[in-house]
Amino acid sequence: MTAVAFLFDVLAYSAVFVLVGLGLGIIASMMGIFNFAHGEFVLLGAYTVYLFEQHGLPVWCGMLAAPLVVALVGLLLERIAIRRFYATPVVAMLGTYAIGLSLREGVRTLLAGQFYNVTAPLVGSFALGELSVSRWRTAVILITLLVMLGCYALLTQTRMGLQVRAALENPALARASGISTARVYAATFAFGAGLAGLAGGLMVPIYSLSADMGVPFLIKSFLAVMLGGMGSFDGAVAGSALVGGSSAALPWFIKPVVADVLVFLIAIAIVKLRPDGLLSHWRR
Amino acid sequence: MPEELISGPARLAPPARVAARARALLPGIELGLLALALVLPPFLEDFWVLFATRVAILSLLALSFDLVWGYAGIMSFGQALFSGMAGYCTALLATQLGVTSVFVLLGTGALVGLFVALAVAALVILGKRAPSLVFVSLGTLTGSYVVERLARGWSFVGGQNGIPSLPRLTLGRFEIAEGPMFYYLALFVLVLVYVGLRFFTRSQLGLVLAGMRQQEGRIAFFGYRLQHLKGVTFCLAGLIAGISGCLYAFHEGYVGPGQLGPVQSTQVVLYVLFGGVGTLVGAVLGVSLVDLFSYFLSQRFETAWPIVLGVLLLLIVMYRPSGLIGLLVSDRERIGSFGRGGKTGEKPR
Repeated sequence: MTAVAFLFDVLAYSAVFVLVGLGLGIIASMMGIFNFAHGEFVLLGAYTVYLFEQHGLPVWCGMLAAPLVVALVGLLLERIAIRRFYATPVVAMLGTYAIGLSLREGVRTLLAGQFYNVTAPLVGSFALGELSVSRWRTAVILITLLVMLGCYALLTQTRMGLQVRAALENPALARASGISTARVYAATFAFGAGLAGLAGGLMVPIYSLSADMGVPFLIKSFLAVMLGGMGSFDGAVAGSALVGGSSAALPWFIKPVVADVLVFLIAIAIVKLRPDGLLSHWRR
Repeated sequence: MPEELISGPARLAPPARVAARARALLPGIELGLLALALVLPPFLEDFWVLFATRVAILSLLALSFDLVWGYAGIMSFGQALFSGMAGYCTALLATQLGVTSVFVLLGTGALVGLFVALAVAALVILGKRAPSLVFVSLGTLTGSYVVERLARGWSFVGGQNGIPSLPRLTLGRFEIAEGPMFYYLALFVLVLVYVGLRFFTRSQLGLVLAGMRQQEGRIAFFGYRLQHLKGVTFCLAGLIAGISGCLYAFHEGYVGPGQLGPVQSTQVVLYVLFGGVGTLVGAVLGVSLVDLFSYFLSQRFETAWPIVLGVLLLLIVMYRPSGLIGLLVSDRERIGSFGRGGKTGEKPR
């Protein structure tokens, strides 16, 4: 029975984490920049949900709005600042770090440094055999699966997905074929930000809302993206699932601190040995 | 004018006279700052002396980052790791074994910084394949995060609280108290390191580093082992960061996990970026200006000042990648010249 509970716990954590990692991975693959403000996009998503609750609106409305709001913020930032950084990955890190700093401290000021809890739209749990399973966590897993399927369909089935893949594969040729890569990049950035916002919105009932809630996700999702290999959709998902899953699973066996450190060290070692990502072996 | 078009390429190699005149500015700034730093403390209130001491110590850390990024092109988000580790080790030495001699502690700090940097370099920089820039920056960042996490969880080093109430440093029988004494100690170390680095960056090795920064492939083609050069520079920077960490711990009388972590590491990056990458004086200037600025902002806006700092930083990164020093000094002078005549003022990465 504990095995099922264990699996469920790992799954629920990985689900949220995959959304964060996927957003970061899409941006990193497409533009080659690592977005240090990604944790703050998660935070903004959570904050949006909190605002909805404060104003007496239903929480699920907030969760619908969170990705849109954060995507808009991302689009705005991309237009103003981030598009200047595409040629220079290190400057991009510092620039996005500065953006993240401002966003985080802004939310901290708004929250007055407090922790807040938001109640989930689905409360309670249901019985699965003898095990009681949290409804909200189940919903999170299902939503994540749906979103991932949606992303996959968007990339492989639609005209826009084709343009995105073209711009990823060969930007110069894509431009020559009449695809506005600038527009594709802007859309991609907004989309990645929106995914982070969604993750933030979904996780806020599970974790409490505070200004620093996005920070632990940032470094882990960096590792996840490097682990999966930049430049692919499946790589980012696989890497995130691996890092998220192992950082949820290991604390069951060893001390949380040691587990956390171990995940990092193993991930770094793997990336060192296999710089193109885990999946590079199977691809082509 | 057509004449200008014809003489276009010649502008890259300017007459020696012009170059010489332009080059005079940087030493001027350096000497001016030094004179200011030497003369000022007796006229300042106690708070400002402590402030200036902290600036001098953090300048060491900033110099170490400037060395790795500005000169060797290694993006290290882990400088605080070296300084913090040195801080912890020397603090343990002082509290557990009762060592307070400034020579022993500073030496230990430097060695700890050196060896931690060596270990990190072995993992992240050295190896069969040349690592990507992103891997190095994320690797060092991760190292910094991991060690902070460990320090927070390990009760032997005080867990969350760190190691408080460190004894004072001693020089022979003298106790070096916080205030002017400690300030001049820190300044002395800073000047020593600064002069040393100035020689280092103008040496043959510095020349190779400058070439590497411009065009890695070509330097590799000359037969230099890039990764070894980078490793050596990285370790030297670790040593300097170690000294800084030791001084910082004993100046504050406290060492905590925050001094190890990514927040401190990125703070150092901000300092150097603000001041100007690739000029030693830019790092010092950056620390002074950012700290002064943060202080005054925090007086005016109690909670909102980090927001302003973030926006300001973004503006600098976007519009003035060469930092504030770039306002004063030309690119050519910033990069410096080796041998006779002026080198071409090609923009660094």
